[in-house]
Amino acid sequence: MQAARKSTTTRRRWNTQRYVPALLVAPMVLGLLVFAVYPLIYLLILSSSESLLGKPFQAWIGLENYRAAFADQTFLASLLRSIAFALPVTVAELILGLAIAVLLQHTIRGGHIVRTLILLPLMTPPVMVAVAWKLILSPVGGLLNAALLGFGLSDKPVSVLGSATWAFPSIALADAWQWTPFIILLVFAALQAQPVELRQAAMIDGASEGQVFRDITLPLLIPAVVAIGLIRFITALKLFDLVYALTQGGPGFDTTVGSFHIYRVALEQFNVGYAAALTVLFGLFVSLVTLPIVILRDWSLRRWL
Amino acid sequence: MSASRAAASRARTSALRENTTARPSGQWRLLRWVALGLVLLFFLAPIAYLALVSLKPQPEVLSGRLLPSRIAWENWPNAFGTVDVLLFLRNSIVVAGLSAALTMLLSVPAVYAMVRFRTGGSLLRSVVLSSYVAPPIVAVIPLFYLLKWSQLIDTLPGLALVHGLANLPVAVWLLESFVREVPRDIEEASWVDGAGRVGTLAHIVLPIIVPGLVAVTIICIILSYNEFLFALVLTYRPDTQTLPVGVALFQGDRLVQFGQMAAASLTGMIPVYLVALFFQRGLVRGLTGGAIRG
Repeated sequence: MQAARKSTTTRRRWNTQRYVPALLVAPMVLGLLVFAVYPLIYLLILSSSESLLGKPFQAWIGLENYRAAFADQTFLASLLRSIAFALPVTVAELILGLAIAVLLQHTIRGGHIVRTLILLPLMTPPVMVAVAWKLILSPVGGLLNAALLGFGLSDKPVSVLGSATWAFPSIALADAWQWTPFIILLVFAALQAQPVELRQAAMIDGASEGQVFRDITLPLLIPAVVAIGLIRFITALKLFDLVYALTQGGPGFDTTVGSFHIYRVALEQFNVGYAAALTVLFGLFVSLVTLPIVILRDWSLRRWL
Repeated sequence: MSASRAAASRARTSALRENTTARPSGQWRLLRWVALGLVLLFFLAPIAYLALVSLKPQPEVLSGRLLPSRIAWENWPNAFGTVDVLLFLRNSIVVAGLSAALTMLLSVPAVYAMVRFRTGGSLLRSVVLSSYVAPPIVAVIPLFYLLKWSQLIDTLPGLALVHGLANLPVAVWLLESFVREVPRDIEEASWVDGAGRVGTLAHIVLPIIVPGLVAVTIICIILSYNEFLFALVLTYRPDTQTLPVGVALFQGDRLVQFGQMAAASLTGMIPVYLVALFFQRGLVRGLTGGAIRG
């Protein structure tokens, strides 16, 4: 009886407010039309033209720019470099961020001060992040070299950023410094949003702290971690600032990632038509590489929630 | 009646909390403190180094010595003289505040509808993400023309609009897992009690996902506050330029004013630090969240 009443009330609400979900989504869709669809159409048109910076749309050349892109070895290699950078960096930052977030869950007093201090790298202006790391890593008078020479670990100045071996790891270090706090904050929030009841019940049943973490906390966290990792992976694939400021894509082409190559084509060779085609291809490439993660996320949501 | 129920479950929640943070043994506590110390060292040492740079005379910055021979306090007032740091700071705060508000206002209701009513299906979810996959270097050109056409170019609301929309995918994807974790039966109970969908969202769902709202809001504020490329292209007067652009101005043609640049950067970090500190209080599971859950 009561169940029947409940279902009719719910259904009446449901029916009278059928338009509500559409209204809730509408403002965002409008925003996406402005911000995603219009630029995409513009890029597609630009990419099928011969366009220079300041002198756009000189001639229509159809798919010529795309044909050129598939023959552009520098571009194809830069895509591979983007993945070779983004994948290990994202995984390392996720593991580090997860560990630190769990660690922070246990410090109670002054916790909010510690957590905000850890966010400072994320708050540093990006130009300053790059300059700071450049000062630390500089072969002449940099902090790292002063330390290496001072401790007798090296007898002559080392140019880490000019070394084929060390340039990428140096960028990765600066990237981890700047972006791990992003992961810490979000994983911490996800931990806070978890229901305590499950953990509590397991504890009462005699589970150890480690078992509770492995069997309850971690599985519940997976959908959130996958989403955070996805966003971080995309930003790492789009890496630009640190390369621009620290290595300018060098030594040679060793750190020329996708975004930096597009920047060169657009603003050093002024070939914006071609750069538009590269941007579209890069976007497709990122969508393709992240597709397994999107699928993994849907699967993890079905599995655990 | 509902007040007493809330009070009862609030008491229960705090009891639970005390139990789950049971005292670890001495060894573990020591290890935790050591680990925390190392973490803080890694994240704060470069900031401390920046503070040192801000107090070094220009010729000593690249001398390889850690401590300056004399403390160059003049870098700080000089920084404020070289570029109008306070004006840039005001612009950054206005843009970050407006854009984060826009992002949250658009994303929270949309995520709720997408999760609970499957509005838009998987198509909408992938469209949201697709606006985030392309590097903005070329994509900024059409946005430049759009703002010019709508006379929002070189204005604070114009830049805030672009930042607010640019951060939508981040907010939508990060908020989704929080909304998904809200137990469905709580919402259905609320519908039975006569609340509509919007009422359920406002009074039941939002209080439960406070940690998520807080974390994502902080992220949106910081992402806008530190965004460089859009700010560089879409604003060009000191009245509208933001601090990241202002900080870049210290890089002259030949000489980089490292000390002043560090002083300006550190100044810029103070307001956003205070905002984050304020918001962080809401990050630890609030009593409201626990009460509704319990």
